[in-house]
Amino acid sequence: MRSTFMGLEASKRGLFTQQTALYTTGHNISNANSLGYSRQRVNMQATPGFPTAGLNQPFYPGHLGTGVETGSIQRIRDEFIDRQYRQETNKFGYWESRTKAISQMEDIINEPSEFGLDKAFEQFWKGLEDVGNKPADAAARKVAIGRAKHLALSFNTMDTQLKTIQGNLGKELGVSTTQINTILKEIAAVNKQIQEVEPNGYVPNDLYDVRDVLVDKLNEYIPVSIERVPSGGLASKVAEGSLKITFKGTDGVVRNLVDGKDFAQFTAMGTNGSKVTGDDITNLFSELQLTDIESLEDHEAGTVTSSQAAIGQQDFEASKGKLLSLINSYGYQSTGGIKGYYPETLEKLDQLANAFIQEFNTLHANGYTLEEKDANGNIINASTNGGTFFVGTGAGGIQLNDAIENNVNLLAASSGVTQEGDGKHAYELANMQHKLYASIGNATMQSFYQGIVGKIGVDGEEALRLAATHESQRLTVSNNRDSMSSVSLDEEMTNMITFQQAYNANARMITVVDETLDKIINGMGRVGL
Amino acid sequence: MGNNPQTIKKGVFIKMRVTQSMLSSNMLLNLNRSYGKMSKLQDQINSGSKITRPSDDPVVAVNGMGYRRDLAKVEQYTRNMITASNWLDSSDESLNQVGEQMKRVRELVIQAANDTSTPEEREKIKMEIDQIRQQIQDVGNTNIGGSYLFSGTNTNQPLFTPAAGGGKEINPALNAPNEAVNIEIYDGIQIQVNTPGKDLFQSIDDMMGKISDLLGDPNKTGQEIGDMLGGVSSSSTSDDITTMHNKILEAQADVGARQNRIEMMENRLGIREVSVTKQLRDTESVDYSKAITEMVTNESIHQAALSVGAKIIQQTLVDFIR
Repeated sequence: MRSTFMGLEASKRGLFTQQTALYTTGHNISNANSLGYSRQRVNMQATPGFPTAGLNQPFYPGHLGTGVETGSIQRIRDEFIDRQYRQETNKFGYWESRTKAISQMEDIINEPSEFGLDKAFEQFWKGLEDVGNKPADAAARKVAIGRAKHLALSFNTMDTQLKTIQGNLGKELGVSTTQINTILKEIAAVNKQIQEVEPNGYVPNDLYDVRDVLVDKLNEYIPVSIERVPSGGLASKVAEGSLKITFKGTDGVVRNLVDGKDFAQFTAMGTNGSKVTGDDITNLFSELQLTDIESLEDHEAGTVTSSQAAIGQQDFEASKGKLLSLINSYGYQSTGGIKGYYPETLEKLDQLANAFIQEFNTLHANGYTLEEKDANGNIINASTNGGTFFVGTGAGGIQLNDAIENNVNLLAASSGVTQEGDGKHAYELANMQHKLYASIGNATMQSFYQGIVGKIGVDGEEALRLAATHESQRLTVSNNRDSMSSVSLDEEMTNMITFQQAYNANARMITVVDETLDKIINGMGRVGL
Repeated sequence: MGNNPQTIKKGVFIKMRVTQSMLSSNMLLNLNRSYGKMSKLQDQINSGSKITRPSDDPVVAVNGMGYRRDLAKVEQYTRNMITASNWLDSSDESLNQVGEQMKRVRELVIQAANDTSTPEEREKIKMEIDQIRQQIQDVGNTNIGGSYLFSGTNTNQPLFTPAAGGGKEINPALNAPNEAVNIEIYDGIQIQVNTPGKDLFQSIDDMMGKISDLLGDPNKTGQEIGDMLGGVSSSSTSDDITTMHNKILEAQADVGARQNRIEMMENRLGIREVSVTKQLRDTESVDYSKAITEMVTNESIHQAALSVGAKIIQQTLVDFIR
C-alpha cells in the first residue's frame, strides 16, 4: 500500500528541484560576464517509481511516478573546441609577440624618413661633394666633417637603441618563464582541490572553469598537451578529473609539466650559465631547464633536485607560443652560431659599419690633406696623406677621429701634394656611394642598408598578416566556444520563467494534496453531523 | 522564408546559439579593425605618404629609399654645376677683358710704329702700355669666392706677386705646370673649370714687357716696333700681339665649349629630376582622392556599426518581461 502522504513528498521534491534549477539560473546570470565561465545546467531526472522491484513488493497495477530529483549540475563545455581555441592561441601568441618585436625595430630604424641612417649617409656624401667643389673652403670642410660625425652618431644611436630593446625582450623572456611557472603551480593547486572533492561525488564546475582559463593562458606561452585523469572513488560520471599537462618537443621527448597536484618549473638559462634576465645581452638564450614534477610541499622545501630533459630552441614546434617568439627575437645559441632577429640585425649593422670604416679609411689615406699655415702665411705643415678618418669598430663603436674633428684641414680632399684647389679626392670619396664592396656581399653601402630595411619590412608584414589571421581564427573559435558555453541572458530569462512556473505549479500541487487530506481528516466519518 | 536557416548563411543548417558575449566581442573586434583602418588612412592623409613604416609595404619602402637617393644625387650635381658655371663665367669674363686690352695695345703699337712719332709721343704711349700691363696682371689675379681663377690648383695663391726688383712677376710658389681644377657634374664625370693661367699670362706679360722696352729705346725704328703687331708671315715671331690675341681667343673658345657642355648637362639633370620626382611620388605619395573616399566610406561604415551595435547589445529579454 502506498503512503497517504506520498503526493506531498513528490511535490516537495519538485519544489526543491525547481528551486535548484532557479538558483542555478541565478548563478548563470550573475556570472554572465565572468571570464571563462561556462553556463551550468541542472540535469533533472525522475526518481525511481513505486513500487520498487523486490521480493515483498506489493502488487500494484502500473508503476507510479514519485517525482523528480537533481541528477547532476553540469557545465556546458566542448573539450574539442577548447583544443582548437588553444591551438589558435599558440599561433596568435607567437605572431603577436613577433609583430611587437619587429614593430619596435621599425620604430628605431625610422625608415623611410628624413632622419634615418640612409639620410645621414646621403648628407655625408653631399658634404664631400661640396668639399670637392670648394676644397680650400674651411666652411665646406666643417660641414662635411660635421655630417661624418652625425653619420657615426646615427650608427651608435641605432645600435644602442636596438640593444636596449633586445635587453627588454630578454627581460620579457625571463618574466614569461616566471609567469608560466606560476600558471603551472596554480593548475596543480586547482587539480589538488578537484582531486579532493570529486571522489565524494561532487562536480566542481567552477573549479573546472578556473582551470580552463589557466590552461588557455599557458597555451599563449607554450604549446602543451592535455590529458584527463579520472579521480576514482565515487566520482560522478560528469566529473572531469584532474589534468596531466605535458610538453612534447620535436625531439620526441615528453616532459611532464603538471600531473595531478605535482608540477614542474622552468628556468630560462643563458649561454654564460646564468638565468636570462636581459641585463646582459651577451647572455643569449641557451635552453629552458625543467625540474622534475614535485608537490607544493616539496617545491617549498626545495628537496627536488633531479631534472627533466632541457628544452632548446630547436625542440619547439615552429611558430607556436609567445615564449618561442621571445627566444627568436632575443637571440639564442644554436649549432650554427648565434641566431635571432635582434642579434642578426645588429650583426648586419656591424658588418655595414665595419665595411664603411675600413673602405673609407683606406681610400682616405690615398688623398692629400690641406697644408697648414700660421698667421703670417708661412707653411707650418705641408700637406700629407690622409690619416685615419673613422676609428672604432662596429655600429656601436664607430667614431670620427678626434684629430680630424679638431682640424678640418686633415680631410684629404686633394689628389696631389699642396694643391688646395684640387678636390678630386673628395669626389673620389663621395663616389664611394656608387661602389660595390665585397665585404657587404657586393652591394653599395646604402643598398646593403636598404636590404636590412627591406627584410625588416617583409618580416614585419608577414608577422602582422599572420597575427591578424590567427586573431580572426581565434575569434571564430572563441565564438564557437561562446555559442556553446557562454551565458545567454535571453535563454536564462526563459529558463527563469519555466522554472518559476514549475515551482508555482508544484506549490499548487501541494495545496491540492492538502485539500484532499483535509477532506479525509476533517470531513470523513462525520456523516449527518 | 524568414525562418529557413539556409537563407541566413549559405551552408549552415543548424541554428547557432548566439549569446550576448559573442555579440559584444564581435562588435569590439570589428570596431577595433575599423579604427585601425581609419587610423592608417589618417596617417596616410596627414603624412601624404602611402607608408609610414617598412612593414606597411616593404617594396614601396625600399624603392622609395632608392628614388630618394637618386633625387639627392641630382640635387647635389645641380649644386656642383652652379659652382662650375661660376668658375667658367668668371674665366670667360676675365679673358674677355684681356682680349679688349689686347685690342688697345694693338692700336697703341700701330700708332707708335711710325718713324715720325717723337720720343715724347712714344714715352706717352709707353706709359699707357705699362698701365695696361698692370691691368692684365690684375685680371690674372681675379679671385672669386676666395679662389684665384688662373693659379691652377693653387687657388690660395695669386698668379702675380710683387717681384724683388719692382713690378710684378709670376708667383714662383705656383706648381708647374698648372693643374686642372675639376668639378664633378655627374656620377664619375668631372669637368675642368679653370683655365691654367701661368703660361698664358707669363707670355702676355713678357710681350708687354718687350713692347714697353722697345718704346723706351729711342734708337728703335718704326719697323722694329711694327714687327710686334705680328700677323705677317715674314716678320712673325711667336711673341707678337696677334699670336697672343689668338691664344686668348682660343682659351675663351675652350671655356665657351665647356659652358655649353654644362648647360646641356643641366638640362639633362633637370629632366632626370622631374622623372625621379614623379617616380618617387607615384611610389610613395598617397592618392588623396582615393584615400579620402576610403576614409569617408569607412566613417559611414563605422557609424553604422556603432549605431547597430549599440541597439543590439542593449536589449535582452529582460527589457520585455515583467
